Amino acid sequence: MARKLIDEGFTVVRPLAGGFDAWVDAGYPVEAG
Amino acid sequence: MNRLIALVLRHGVPLVAANVFLEQIGAPIPAVPTLMIAGALARNGQMSSTHVMVWAVLASLVADSIWFALGKRYGYRILRLLCRISLSPDSCVRDTEANFERWGMKSLLIAKFVPGFSTVAPPLAGATNAGIVPFILYDGVGALLWAGAAVIVGRAFHHAIGSVVERLENLGGWAVVFVVFVLALFVIVKWWQRVRFIKQLRVARVQPDELKAMFDSGTMPMVVDARSAGARKRDPRHIPNAVAASPEELIERLRDADPSKEIVLYCT
Repeated sequence: MARKLIDEGFTVVRPLAGGFDAWVDAGYPVEAG
Repeated sequence: MNRLIALVLRHGVPLVAANVFLEQIGAPIPAVPTLMIAGALARNGQMSSTHVMVWAVLASLVADSIWFALGKRYGYRILRLLCRISLSPDSCVRDTEANFERWGMKSLLIAKFVPGFSTVAPPLAGATNAGIVPFILYDGVGALLWAGAAVIVGRAFHHAIGSVVERLENLGGWAVVFVVFVLALFVIVKWWQRVRFIKQLRVARVQPDELKAMFDSGTMPMVVDARSAGARKRDPRHIPNAVAASPEELIERLRDADPSKEIVLYCT
């Protein structure tokens, strides 16, 4: 998906390392759906 | 060389089984050519189609069950590991996941025909907490269709395959060198593509603490929740201010946006 966006011309597309799980594991804030 | 052919014929079925097992466990060794040759040999009466099929299905079930169990035990984490070793970087977890959600267990029936999906489908089934009995049934039928198709094609084109094999036989020991060379070339090309792709991603990857620091300092990148609809339903929490969108929606939405704006996207 990051690649798709880069192909579309967006220059600063960065995937989050480890995804959502890593964010949650680090204890950072989440919003309830 | 005749000795080699005899060897292949004598141990043909276990060889086919080993090949299928290795492919399904994730090694980049295609089993379809082997199955087709087995089909052609069966047509000539040098091998039994039934044995080949039974062993191919069993080998595939064993490999797939291992992945299924790992998927059940470790959930979606195992998919990321698979993506890293699968040598097919373009088939992202997200795409496979979306496919699986659309078709459910039925996707196991056709999974083996779809490159990249084949090895990922069993652990996905495990991660979605499917039962072992329906898994074995669907996966078994899927393996039967796949191995059956390859063997039937092999039977149908046994003349062409026979002449290729014969030509290889005439090459003597060089045939082995040739086959190993083609296989090695295949693996090297795949490997190189992967290394290039990972290098591209690694440069750009954001660490969670880096993103948190961006939030804290007030530079807000656009955060995109790129999880599939099903994954979002399972865990409706999200990173603050994240926009949930599919790639198509996102491109549409960003059409008028500043292309130099920083975008951070995340999957499960």
